[in-house]
Amino acid sequence: MTPAIRAEFRKFFTTRLWWGMAIAVVLSGAAFAVLFALVFTSDIARGPQGAAVPQTDADLAKAVFTGGIQVGYLLTLAIGVMTIGAEYRHQTITATFLAVPRRGRVMGAKVLSLLVIGAFYGVLSLAGAVGAGTLVLTAKGHQPFADSSIWRALALSLLILGLWALIGLGAGILIPNQVAALLISIAVAWIVEPVLGLVLALTDWGQNISPYLPSRATAAMLESTGGGFDGQPVEQLSWWAGALVLAAYAAVMAGLGTWRTVRRDIA
Amino acid sequence: MDPAGPEPTGRIEVRGLTKHFGSFTAVDHLDLDVEPGRITGFLGPNGAGKTTTLRMLLGLVRPTSGTATIDGRRYADIHNPLTVVGSALEATNFHPGRTGRNHLRVQAAASGVSDRRVDELLELVGIPAAARKRAGGYSMGMRQRLGLAAAMLGDPHVLILDEPANGLDPEGIRWLRGFLRHLADEGRTLLISSHMLSEVEQTVDDVVIIANGKRVAQGTVEELRGEPTAFVRTSDPDRLTAALQQRGLRVAPKAGGLQVTTEDLAVVGDVAHASDVAIHELRSEQTHLEELFFNLTETEGDRNRLSGAAHARAGVAPDLPPPMLPPPSGPPVDPSVVAAPPADAREAGR
Ligand SMILES: Nc1ncnc2c1ncn2[C@@H]1O[C@H](COP(=O)(O)OP(=O)(O)OP(=O)(O)O)[C@@H](O)[C@H]1O
Ligand SMILES: [Mg+2]
Repeated sequence: MTPAIRAEFRKFFTTRLWWGMAIAVVLSGAAFAVLFALVFTSDIARGPQGAAVPQTDADLAKAVFTGGIQVGYLLTLAIGVMTIGAEYRHQTITATFLAVPRRGRVMGAKVLSLLVIGAFYGVLSLAGAVGAGTLVLTAKGHQPFADSSIWRALALSLLILGLWALIGLGAGILIPNQVAALLISIAVAWIVEPVLGLVLALTDWGQNISPYLPSRATAAMLESTGGGFDGQPVEQLSWWAGALVLAAYAAVMAGLGTWRTVRRDIA
Repeated sequence: MDPAGPEPTGRIEVRGLTKHFGSFTAVDHLDLDVEPGRITGFLGPNGAGKTTTLRMLLGLVRPTSGTATIDGRRYADIHNPLTVVGSALEATNFHPGRTGRNHLRVQAAASGVSDRRVDELLELVGIPAAARKRAGGYSMGMRQRLGLAAAMLGDPHVLILDEPANGLDPEGIRWLRGFLRHLADEGRTLLISSHMLSEVEQTVDDVVIIANGKRVAQGTVEELRGEPTAFVRTSDPDRLTAALQQRGLRVAPKAGGLQVTTEDLAVVGDVAHASDVAIHELRSEQTHLEELFFNLTETEGDRNRLSGAAHARAGVAPDLPPPMLPPPSGPPVDPSVVAAPPADAREAGR
């Protein structure tokens, strides 16, 4: 198994994709931290109508530090799509399966390497976010590390990026065309699904479903309080339930992808 | 040679291999044997099913039925297969944004081969500097060389190459020929596909020809070439026949002239001159192999014609019923007598 994993890492770090993504992740992490820190500490947001804004220093720090993760997961989702999509598109999948004909083993190596790669980008995003966010929060007179739940949110951020990469892996296999796979998965994860979540939250029966959507589960893991259409905080799972739900999505997508890959003719 | 035994035999065995793509039969009950220490040419016109067969052999395409084994094992059952079987399928299987060297290093990591070996191989195939550039800009010849290096990575004793001469310049083909011969002399097994007979005829020892997924001939190049023949048209066939027979040559009437079993046109000319008959035409005929292959490519895409007339030569494909051979599209040929090849082709084939 180890040789297959080493090969996956080499594949990933020998094209330009990785550092382009790295720059995007660091910058978005820092930018969102600064933006959220300024907005959430502004007088308007902290006024009476700012109900969905984090109130305690701990919640504020979590929201600021993990603001970039909400974009970062779209990037690792894209990475997941592209690691497998590029293999089919450029037919390097042939070389991959020639070296390791046990396809389940290849998929296992891809899953493990993507979890690590997700965590790697998580570290980069948080480095940017914590660096920039701490500066702004401190300047505004807030405690950046008020309690230990912040550390949990940071650790879970790494997991979130890894799990979304696995969702991308599955999407990249189930949608054969790489470009279509990228567009569809990003559009769904970024726009369709969050909007669906908000719409569902408006109905009585939908309220019970929406916390289980991937983006809501992600927010739950970060304990970031999102607002609904009415600006009131929406109901969400506890952080661990959110983690389990997101992990379930990742497992189903990666599992379907593996099932498909093991059967498929490489012609 | 026990194929299931622990000792690697280097043999490739294909039995009853069949692949349907929907209702289309790409490979049809194919049997194939490839022996170590020899270069086997796997020939067939475009779309004959060569690549599909090789992909089944390499575990990439799942056969509808039948088996394909190397050293008596299915590819997927070979432990660390790159160290046993090296293969190059298409010359396009590289990520355009990754350097050739890094492509090999990925494969090296996957099969536990040292990175030093990667650089040695790049030297061997003659692209050490170019391999540090992104593969997107590679020429076809460079891709072929990189593919060959990838195939050699694990120092395998079986090599399977799909159209390796495609895109190589004459110098490159000469180099490839010498390289493959060297590998075969080391006792390795080489299976090389091509849709062009002329490309590999001088390189290979054994030939397997397929058309429409079925095997139409298998044998050594010598067997399949048959005896060289000359065609001669003359003013007095009876007199020339007698004179040639007196010189110990076999002669048979053919299409308004005579077919003489010899590769030496001068002898025919001299005999005619000595016996005072006029010659109207004198030429070497195609070998049986050339003719066979030519007919296959002519009838390509026309599956129905393939089940027509018999055109088998006794002893060439003894295990195949004659109807599998395509009908000749040229002048009719007496199956017991075969045409002569160009002399230079025969010499270079030794
Ligand atoms: N995945 C596939 N789905 C449907 N048909 C296929 C598939 N792969 C190959 N075929 C068909 O099977 C036949 C054999 O194809 P194959 O690539 O094996 O031929 P080939 O002998 O390698 O030809 P060439 O000399 O052009 O490389 C062709 O008619 C091809 O169109
Ligand atoms: Mg082919």
